[in-house]
Amino acid sequence: MIEAYFVHILILVCIYVILAVSLNIALGYTGLLNMGHIAFFGIGAYTSALLTKAGTPYIIALFAAGILASLMGCILVYATRKLKGDYLALATLGFSFVVYSLMLNWTSLTRGALGIPGISKPCFFGLCIANNNEFLVFALIITALTVFIIYRIANSNFGRLLQAARDDELGLRVLGKNTFKLKMKSMMISAFFAGIAGSLFAHYISYIDPGSFMMNEVILVFTIVIVGGLASIRGSIVATFIIIIIPELLRLVALPSSILGPARQIIYAVILIAILLLRPKGLFGRIDLE
Amino acid sequence: MIFVQLLVNSLIIGSIYALVASGFSLIYSTNKFMHFAHGVMVAVSAYLLFLTFDLLHISFWISCILTLIGAAILGLGTYRLLYLPLQNRKSSNVILLIASVGILILFENLLLLIFGADIKTIGFISVSKGMEFAGVIITPLQAIIILTSIIIFIALWLFMNYTKLGRNMRAVSDNKELANIIGINHRAVADLSFILGSVLAGIAGILIGLEQNLAPTMGMNLIIKGFTGAIIGGITSVPGSVIGSYILGIAENYGIWWLPSEYKDAIAFVLLFIFLLFKPNGLFGKKGGRT
Repeated sequence: MIEAYFVHILILVCIYVILAVSLNIALGYTGLLNMGHIAFFGIGAYTSALLTKAGTPYIIALFAAGILASLMGCILVYATRKLKGDYLALATLGFSFVVYSLMLNWTSLTRGALGIPGISKPCFFGLCIANNNEFLVFALIITALTVFIIYRIANSNFGRLLQAARDDELGLRVLGKNTFKLKMKSMMISAFFAGIAGSLFAHYISYIDPGSFMMNEVILVFTIVIVGGLASIRGSIVATFIIIIIPELLRLVALPSSILGPARQIIYAVILIAILLLRPKGLFGRIDLE
Repeated sequence: MIFVQLLVNSLIIGSIYALVASGFSLIYSTNKFMHFAHGVMVAVSAYLLFLTFDLLHISFWISCILTLIGAAILGLGTYRLLYLPLQNRKSSNVILLIASVGILILFENLLLLIFGADIKTIGFISVSKGMEFAGVIITPLQAIIILTSIIIFIALWLFMNYTKLGRNMRAVSDNKELANIIGINHRAVADLSFILGSVLAGIAGILIGLEQNLAPTMGMNLIIKGFTGAIIGGITSVPGSVIGSYILGIAENYGIWWLPSEYKDAIAFVLLFIFLLFKPNGLFGKKGGRT
């Protein structure tokens, strides 16, 4: 019993590590204030769930989830190209509201608030994942791949260009670099992995509804990235463990679930506010959030 | 006849949005950052009225005054204990915005924890049958909401334009450094804007609490609508925000004339997104939003 519980927590940690690390590419490395990251997660979850329901092999659905999210990221960057600072943050937040209301109201496709039940476990060429332990192995592989790829991107020339675009956009443009293209690539990479995380989430929980992709979740991922530190992949991973596991300690004192839910959100909010007030660089961050 | 009924419905909901938007925009124009937690101040006020009037059985008008005082303390406290330390450290607007969303989630869940998720009603005015007035149905309370908010907006406009404090506020909102040079204490003006804005949130909370059911998540919904109204009208302009909120009310009510009614919220989201992209300063706002 306790083992199954640990497996569940670890799978959640994997999904949130992917979300946090991918957000860090846009938010931390490139300085794109994307508050709509959860929308990509939701787009990935719905794409993957609907495609496998329609009979598409999982491996294709998984990539389709990433690619569609990535395309939406491309559109979002293009649409918001003239905005900066809090206006950009709010426009991306507005984007996540638009996606949320599409999920809720496009009932012929998404079944609206009823959600999509009975999403199958992933299958690869006839080999299907049968239980949560096997799912954990699968999630660990995907997470390791994601972290590896993003780590390589962040420490490549391209990654340094992204950081330069964050620190001195004008200076980089003077050097003849197209900062808009850099931002777009960064957002597309970020959205791609958020879509992959969405697919994992949908096929693990096996039921999705629009409620899983609301503002509270954005703040959770934001908190993880800020606590871990901007532009620090190691920080995001450590922070995911801390942020996901701390509220689970509440279960030890056997609170009723009507208290557990709000209490968990309160803990997230308090951690977020405390870190902003006390240590805005986060645990492993090198740069200040601007 | 449907046309007129929809217009009246737009006015009712527009007044509610405008009450939220006016306080939000007042705080934005003096402090130049987005106090997203304004929405939860409205929700907390509605619950304060429920607590004092329905649970503690204090008489209605005293409950209202206690609610407004509570809202003012909460708003000022948020400014002094959270925003001011952050501002003193030269944090950017984005940090303040994120902190503000943190406060929103914190209070929303505190309400959930204290009062529970079930819907509450404030039983001051029993639900009465709508009056039929030239073929249009409106309840007395809804008429009171429209009238009260219009009176408040006129009073606010007079205050901003014809009193010394109001003119100081507008001076700080126009140019903080210049206002400082001529001896206006911008710190005091910021305090005042949070007190005044939160009292407006308190009034909104009372009226909304009487008209609708209370739910802990109402703050988020209200600030999204109020914020959308403010963006449509121009977030730096309080009268603009009020007009923008009525425009939003009209768009929602006439929109569902030919869209399915579930799309009511989507109308606001889409309008918000379109305005942020193409006209971030709104219809009446000053330039400078796209910084």
